[in-house]
Amino acid sequence: MEPKVILKENLSSWLEALVSNYEVIAPVTEDGVLVFRPVLKLSEMTIEGTSGPAKSLREHFTPQTETLFHYKLYDQSADVAPPELEIRDRVIFGARACDAAALLYVDAVYSNVEPIDVQYFERRKHTHIIGLFCDKPAWSCFCTEVGDFLEKPAGMDVYLTDLGDRYYVEPLTQKGEELVALAKTQPANENDLSLVNETRRKALERLPKRANHEESCIAYDWDHPVFVELAKKCLSCGVCAFTCPTCHCFDIEECPRGSKGSRYRCWDTCQFEKFTLTGAGHNPRETRKERTRQRIFHKFKYSKERYGMLGCVGCGRCIANCPVNIDIRDVIKELERRR
Amino acid sequence: MKEELELREKARDLLEKGDVICVIGYGAGSTPFKTTPVFIEKAEDVDKLVWNPACVNNLAVYLRDACSKGRTAVVVKPCDAKSVVELIREKQIKREDVVVIAVRCPGMLNEDALKGFDTTDIKSVEWRDNKIVVKTSDGETEIPAQDALLNKCLTCDLTKSPIVDIQIGEPFERQPVKSEYADLEEIEKLTPEERRAYWARQFARCIRCYACRAVCPGCYCKECFVEKPCQLWVMKATDTESNWFFHVTRAMHTAGRCIACGECERACPMGLPLMKLNAKLRKEVAEMFREEPGRDPEALPTLGKFDMKNDPDPCGE
Repeated sequence: MEPKVILKENLSSWLEALVSNYEVIAPVTEDGVLVFRPVLKLSEMTIEGTSGPAKSLREHFTPQTETLFHYKLYDQSADVAPPELEIRDRVIFGARACDAAALLYVDAVYSNVEPIDVQYFERRKHTHIIGLFCDKPAWSCFCTEVGDFLEKPAGMDVYLTDLGDRYYVEPLTQKGEELVALAKTQPANENDLSLVNETRRKALERLPKRANHEESCIAYDWDHPVFVELAKKCLSCGVCAFTCPTCHCFDIEECPRGSKGSRYRCWDTCQFEKFTLTGAGHNPRETRKERTRQRIFHKFKYSKERYGMLGCVGCGRCIANCPVNIDIRDVIKELERRR
Repeated sequence: MKEELELREKARDLLEKGDVICVIGYGAGSTPFKTTPVFIEKAEDVDKLVWNPACVNNLAVYLRDACSKGRTAVVVKPCDAKSVVELIREKQIKREDVVVIAVRCPGMLNEDALKGFDTTDIKSVEWRDNKIVVKTSDGETEIPAQDALLNKCLTCDLTKSPIVDIQIGEPFERQPVKSEYADLEEIEKLTPEERRAYWARQFARCIRCYACRAVCPGCYCKECFVEKPCQLWVMKATDTESNWFFHVTRAMHTAGRCIACGECERACPMGLPLMKLNAKLRKEVAEMFREEPGRDPEALPTLGKFDMKNDPDPCGE
């Protein structure tokens, strides 16, 4: 698949073409916060000069609150109706490499369970991703430490790199070719290629080197004192988990309204005290020590053991958002130092 | 820095003498514009304590747990000290269980001021008077207070800490450059419909991570109303109504107690303007009860007393 370039002046018409064929979801600044939202035109979007949206793509595949079924109760019986699931073909425009790579991990999580999660996979099937190279990584970014997908994008159909007055456009899949065909592009030349390499080199210089956490995480020490220290400062909020692109845990709740109602699932996290509280009152993860350990072990050790890959894509949201500056990079460094 | 060294010496003193079992303070964060809470239990660890414009957290949030284990020292800014006052007058901690170390505070860094910077290249963030100096590999940039400090610092009139056992450095002479209620004006000007639409948009963004609640020293209920099992009037679902219910109820629960440390708004990953709710309630409390929480540890809690004689708005006889 041949790389192309699209002049920025032609971006608007590409977006129009995309919007007429797909629902387009892109980063939008709302009250100063960058969020992924459906858009209709280029002017609504904020794609330049940021290091990515506040939240990951998670809500677009598993909404934070999602109805599983509606019911109506009678004396001896009940009617159960599945939720309306109308999913249009969609394009996510301007997703970052970390967020796209995270989808492959979440795929692995949902792939290993029966029954098949229809809602998740329907959304996945109908979603195409136009990714954007991160030329302004933030202090909290460490994708290059846990993977090579910034340079070799995974989980996306098209990869864009900002070259100033134009974007370097790499179609990565057949679908990507189709999406790019909707734009007015020209073939990339030598000059574009050297500019791309320069842009990538500059960004990579600001990011950490690849580490072999895949190997070292298997030996993480369950009784490591780092968790005693974390427990002192962690406040047990869910900001790390709810902005994380790979966290996927949910709770199932009911919304009864008289004789009818619905059952829904909504995001939950191991950081909340009640996540593991049992009906009998016992809580296997009673203190913050057990809870902080769970998150780190799940991201690294358990994910490697279960799915053969890390459950962390280094997006750094947990680091940037933690109100007490718990830094997952420092935690794993500590775990690997004292093996 | 002078204050930092003095702070470490006092902390060492407290721990060596056995006056306290722990000093809660700020330690170096994972980048120069962040700090992280540290819990110093041994005198040899006092060098972990730092004092710089990134000491934003209100460490009073840790006091209930810490003081239940033994006498604890806590490093505060004058604003945080108001939380200590509230915890004492709400009988959550005993005065004798806490040693308040108040440090000279020229104002704390608003991270938004770093938006134009390459945040991977920030070498240090320091005070110069009440301005902030950011050093990068390209040199240094001086940011004036108005653009560099947290909103609460621009409205702060607290030169002296309202409760203090050990003062580090000369208290910084504070003069508010704007009113705490200034940001309310634009909201109060809106029609009820516009205001409803404004708040609906804000609450719709909430992801119910409860970071706002977790960082709040006043939010210490053993079980938050929003998490009671089997209730039907506020759902775990993140619909706008339930989010709205959570935030407004939380704001009401802290009315008369909120000391405007701004931690809830700072902790929010979704940019909810929670301090506007709090400022509104603080204004109401100031007008109706003629007092501001957090100023006087001897006084009864604002909403915990019943003063018929001096009621500015008597009803009935």
